[in-house]
Amino acid sequence: MTDLTFLALATVTVASSILALEARDLVYGAAALGIAFLGMAGLFFLLDASYVAAFQIAVYIGAVVVLILFTVMLVGPQLGEPPLELKRLSLLAAILLSLLLGTAGAVSSASAFPGPDNCGSGCDLVGLSNALINQYGVQLEFLSLVLAAAVIGALTLAKTETKAE
Amino acid sequence: MGNPIIDLLTSTYFLEIAVFPGLLSIAILGALLGWMERKLTARVQLRVGPLYASPAGGILQMFADIIKLLFKELTIPDGADRFFFIMSPVTALIIGAALLGLIPFAPGIQIANIEVGLPVFLAIVTLSPTIVLLAGWSANSKFPFIGGLRALFQQTAYEIPLWLSTLGVVIVTGTLSLTGIIEYQQNSGWLIVPQLLGAFLFLVTSTAEMERLPFDLPEAESEIMMGWQAEYPGPLFMLAQGPAFVKLYAFSALFTTIYLGGYLGPAPIPPIVWFFLKTILIITLIMLFRSTFPRVRLDQLLRQGWTTLLTLSIANIIIAYFLVVGIPAI
Repeated sequence: MTDLTFLALATVTVASSILALEARDLVYGAAALGIAFLGMAGLFFLLDASYVAAFQIAVYIGAVVVLILFTVMLVGPQLGEPPLELKRLSLLAAILLSLLLGTAGAVSSASAFPGPDNCGSGCDLVGLSNALINQYGVQLEFLSLVLAAAVIGALTLAKTETKAE
Repeated sequence: MGNPIIDLLTSTYFLEIAVFPGLLSIAILGALLGWMERKLTARVQLRVGPLYASPAGGILQMFADIIKLLFKELTIPDGADRFFFIMSPVTALIIGAALLGLIPFAPGIQIANIEVGLPVFLAIVTLSPTIVLLAGWSANSKFPFIGGLRALFQQTAYEIPLWLSTLGVVIVTGTLSLTGIIEYQQNSGWLIVPQLLGAFLFLVTSTAEMERLPFDLPEAESEIMMGWQAEYPGPLFMLAQGPAFVKLYAFSALFTTIYLGGYLGPAPIPPIVWFFLKTILIITLIMLFRSTFPRVRLDQLLRQGWTTLLTLSIANIIIAYFLVVGIPAI
């Protein structure tokens, strides 16, 4: 049952990711990206990480996809650029890369993540929160500084545009 | 061993999803809520409201309307994006129904009892602005697009205070599970007492999320003619109206669960009756907003959302912090 669900979710995720890149209509691309994120949230659910799944939906679909859609609609729903010439070559590269990554994952997972119970009692949400705040507090602050810098940069860009008008 | 298909059809899990508290009951209750809203609004305005569709005060009016809408012609405007135009109302209805799968209606009657029920509920809610925006865009018409944009602005602005207002409950109870929140209230009383500000904020922000008066700018029938639903033909219009009532039911059920003790209540009356009594009380309250308040302007709405409500919800978190830690002696 779990295998079937996994296969279905994985197929949906991969197919809609490809569609997100290849769709001629940008609105369809953005919607396909949303479905890909939804599929990833489903995969997180299967991994018993429902908290991560909830935030995957809230942040990536509730905020990111909505913003992309809004931007696309603001600039007008035009057709995307025509596909590149290197199509066959890039397909080959994609297959090679995914094979390489898959092999690397299979090789490393056997040694790096032995069995499902590798983190003991520290795997729960409380343990994760404690680790984030106590152990990785500084890193977390730096990450939020990066986000703040992005927001300030966006504000600056928006402001210069208004001046130029 | 019997037939596997019959086994599946009579299993508790399937019945919970298909009949109660799942799809069938959601459809019937949604239609009844439509009747209730029209009757209540009519009574407030000294009218009689629906009257003829059954002996009991026109209670079958919505079913009659549904049958009428189903037989209308399915016209799709020229230049509309057919895929999104048809899929948006359907998806919106699915999202609304999915919310109810997380609510504990009575001990043991819950489709999905997951450990992080509250954030998952709110995460599913965040899907709806995307759908409404796509619905408004796909109609390729002026008023639907304005309605879709308004829905996007409004729901994005009110999602953050909505999340933050429920955070107070999470801090006080120390759990993200909806069943856990009810268990906490069994020992310590209803959360609406210590979290009064949070409950008020939740009621206001969820009314805005449901696009109900006084926050029904995306529909605003007197300005933009039902907004994003303007171009929908009969059967699809019925589907587009459905999510409004399903979300009303779901949000009232969530309010009951996290602030009013859910199914808890004195013994002779069964828990499920308590649950529905409280939920219908909240639904009535939200419906009375409709007949009481005028519609706000978009700029007022956004300013209140991003300033007042956000500040108040952060204040509510501080209140929750002191409730847990205790007020320090100076």
